[in-house]
Amino acid sequence: MVNGRIVAGLLLAAGLAAAPAVLPPFFVYLLALVLVTGLLATSLNLVLGYGGLYQFHHGVFYGIGAYTAAVGITRLGWPAWLAFVAGPVAAAAAGLVIGFFCVRLSRLYFGMLQLSLGSLVWIVALRWYPVTGGDNGIHGIPLPAALQTLPGAYALVACTVAASLGVLWAVVRSPFGLTLQAIRDNPQRAQVMGVDVRAHQLAAMVLAAFFAGVAGVLYVALERSVFPNMLFWVLSLEILVMCLLGGWFTFSGPVVGAAVLVGLRTLVGRYTEYWTLVLGVLLILLIFFLPEGIMGHLQRRWTWTRAPSPHPAAAGGTRG
Amino acid sequence: MTDRMWRVLVAAVVAVSAVAGAGAAPAVRFDRNIKVGVVDTYSGPPAVFGNDALNGFKLALQEINRDGVHGARIEFVTRDEKFSPEIGLSMARELVLQERVDVLVGTINSATALAISAFAREQRVPFIVWISKSEDITGAKGHRYVFSTGENTAMAGKALAEAMARRGFTRFWLGAEDYEYGHRITNSFWKFMKRAKPEATLLGQTWWRTGEPDLVPYLTQIQQARPQAVFFGTGGAGMANVLRTMKVIGFNVPTAIHTAIDVTVLRPLGAAAPEGVFGTTDYLFYYPDTPANRKFVQDFQAAYGGPPGFPAFHGYITGYFIAEAFRKARSLDRDRFVEALEGLRIPTPVGEVEMRGCDHQAVLPMIFGVTRRDPRFPFLVGGDLVTIPGRDVMPTCEDIRRARERAQ
Amino acid sequence: MDAGALLGQLVVGLSRAMILFIVSAGLTLVLGVLRVPNVFHGSLYMVGAFVAWSVAEALGGHPAGLWLALAAAPLVTAGVGLAVERLLLCRLYHREHLMLILFTFGVMLVLNDLVKLLWGPTYRSLVPPPSLQGAVTVFGVALPRFNLVLLVAGPLVAVGLWLFAHRTRAGKVSRAAATDRDMVAALGVDVSRVFALAFAVGCFLAGLGGALVAPTTSITLGMDHSLLIDSFLIVIVGGLGNLWGALVGSLLFGVTQSVGLLVWPQFAIAFPYAVTAAVLLVRPTGLLRSAW
Repeated sequence: MVNGRIVAGLLLAAGLAAAPAVLPPFFVYLLALVLVTGLLATSLNLVLGYGGLYQFHHGVFYGIGAYTAAVGITRLGWPAWLAFVAGPVAAAAAGLVIGFFCVRLSRLYFGMLQLSLGSLVWIVALRWYPVTGGDNGIHGIPLPAALQTLPGAYALVACTVAASLGVLWAVVRSPFGLTLQAIRDNPQRAQVMGVDVRAHQLAAMVLAAFFAGVAGVLYVALERSVFPNMLFWVLSLEILVMCLLGGWFTFSGPVVGAAVLVGLRTLVGRYTEYWTLVLGVLLILLIFFLPEGIMGHLQRRWTWTRAPSPHPAAAGGTRG
Repeated sequence: MTDRMWRVLVAAVVAVSAVAGAGAAPAVRFDRNIKVGVVDTYSGPPAVFGNDALNGFKLALQEINRDGVHGARIEFVTRDEKFSPEIGLSMARELVLQERVDVLVGTINSATALAISAFAREQRVPFIVWISKSEDITGAKGHRYVFSTGENTAMAGKALAEAMARRGFTRFWLGAEDYEYGHRITNSFWKFMKRAKPEATLLGQTWWRTGEPDLVPYLTQIQQARPQAVFFGTGGAGMANVLRTMKVIGFNVPTAIHTAIDVTVLRPLGAAAPEGVFGTTDYLFYYPDTPANRKFVQDFQAAYGGPPGFPAFHGYITGYFIAEAFRKARSLDRDRFVEALEGLRIPTPVGEVEMRGCDHQAVLPMIFGVTRRDPRFPFLVGGDLVTIPGRDVMPTCEDIRRARERAQ
Repeated sequence: MDAGALLGQLVVGLSRAMILFIVSAGLTLVLGVLRVPNVFHGSLYMVGAFVAWSVAEALGGHPAGLWLALAAAPLVTAGVGLAVERLLLCRLYHREHLMLILFTFGVMLVLNDLVKLLWGPTYRSLVPPPSLQGAVTVFGVALPRFNLVLLVAGPLVAVGLWLFAHRTRAGKVSRAAATDRDMVAALGVDVSRVFALAFAVGCFLAGLGGALVAPTTSITLGMDHSLLIDSFLIVIVGGLGNLWGALVGSLLFGVTQSVGLLVWPQFAIAFPYAVTAAVLLVRPTGLLRSAW
């Protein structure tokens, strides 16, 4: 299966590289949007699926990354590269601050505190009209000529997303990542073994926030706009749904979930205005028939040819 | 002159000049239909405006497509932006890149209009704004590819401010929805109020979230401050709520709101709308009571079961502007369309309307009035109507040039 | 800022708090007994408002129309909730919370689009009966007469729920199940029936909140959004499953927003979130005792 994985990976990379030449422009844009959203969802899954934290307002870090870049370029006159670096850094800093307060709580309370703090950030963006453009957001953000074309923006998005996913993959496999999963499965035992649970969770949050900020900056490169909706709880709930839909115990699940949601919204949305009804029914069916999400289910089927892995999803575990 | 006679006259003039001017000018035939992409809000409280505009547009297309434009019909597709600039922008992108529309048209949300305008400029696609009123659309952020067939906040603010100043009010409270349109209309009103009456004072201002459902605490707080008059900067999402709340709590302060006298606003509210509210609009279905207007209203009522409001009027003239511009351009090329549209004058149910060349803003009159009951209708109408010509309220071309320079 | 203005805004905030309480009480009941974070609670609130409108419209201008609507709407939402619970939700109780959130989110999307399908995208208005139109002056503030109904309804619901929880067998069993469902099952009680009842009551309250708010605002798609997040925050602040907590939380939210308008109008909308954050930082499990 290892060979199969490498071949699949190479095919995927080739496909992504060829896309601008082969696909019509709108689908190139759509693909880029799926990649950005997929990175955002994967960054959430670092703390949600691998960390077991109820990260209910992950969108805040996405929005902070995007707004930092947008405000930097339009109001502070930063060059694009500086803005694109400042975005994830600002998001990581926000992750540190918000995370510091949230990791002291558990589960539902963690999520609710994050929702409140994140909503305060949203309100600041909504009200601070001279800087953030208030309800409008910021549009027509000037970018270097190479990024002004769709193929150029797509290239940046594809390369950055690939690199970021690679880093996240490495993190998940590293001792840090394994410790995080151990904490998810049994925090008391991890603590007894000498692991600083809170520090690990905080570090994971900062990392997740950083990559959410990267996704935010890539959105700016693609759309040349930022909107206060990026900081609103509805988007955060959507990203959460993407992870659950795709399979939150798998690495590629969130990207699949992002593809499904973005695809549904754009493609089904052209034929019917009730595409959210379709999504709702899909989710309900999924919960009953594919509880581990799409990728979770597919992975489980593929691993039946090998020894069954001691995976929490395979046990149909409860976390009640 | 009836509408029909106008059209015959215009057609005759066009025919004669075409023959006389160009000598043996070859007849042009378009090889495909003209495609228009409409982005607007079709869900939630602003939907009543979006639907009204679309209906006016469809009525115009029905009439135009009888003869066509150089052999081509005008088709359209719609997309619902749900009053979100983010969704509106991605819908516009899809319409241009995937549906390959010739012209973009929309929307009610001024923030969406600005976002789409930036995109239209980048893609070099003509974008005609038909309900959004932010003066930045054709003003500071205007450009070659964006046009407006509706009035803007500079015009409305000036008309309202001067009318309220004439009534002797000096101590004001401003309340508005916290978004692009709310900011623009309120700033415009206050700027012109200070110009008309330098001694006018602002007691305070209150800003609430767009579409805020419970306005009772805001209005009671304003009433307690006891201002002489109040100005509300509310748009499509909040209009119904603010008027309804005013009536319920018996808000007894003289109030001015742009579009308060328009039928799209007053008809759904019926008896729940308050009387005595000052407002402006650029079109009323019962004033001026010309044969052309009466015919338009009749046709609209027959097709859609109710009288047209200002959005329907804008939608209707947008259809005709598009048709006439393509006709004049004799080509489907977007840049030729833009050049033909600049300075174009078309006949409309209320007279000739010009698309001013320097800023791409349609020159429309402002009608000022006050809401009151009318036995003819189950909803309130505007009374004590006064018309102010468009030229008197529009910013000058020089103002526009300076505003665009400052924005650079 | 004079005392009159303050008292006036207080009363206005109280009537808003009553709606928040009725809806949050339903949510906290479901969270406490069933441990289900019901994301479609807000949609039921919206359904309640639309159904109330339809019933009142169907009865024309009949003065009893509104009262009938107030009675019918919660029954409809309770029915909808019960159907969802019996057919689908009851099979998912052993699953993780995130799965329950996902499920209820899916139901929310379906319900919202069904509302759009049935009632269309334009907004509706419901006018209260003539006896309840207009406003009364309270502490120099014009309070809509209908808001007095809200000020009465809130305490009535509170008393009713307390009686249910403490004086009826079903209520006592529900409270026991909230604390220890396994024990209750071991005692021979049909826990699933208890859950069904609690869920139905919770959905009833959501619909009642929507029906009560219908005469005061535009009945429109999307009216569930702000209420959903507000009620979740209130329930967290007050303590999961704690009815008095829901009351305290609602009062806090309603009053801080309306009084906040006098103090700091620009950021009045931030007050509920700031309050929630402050409470969670100081008392992480909420102000009053949590069921879990």
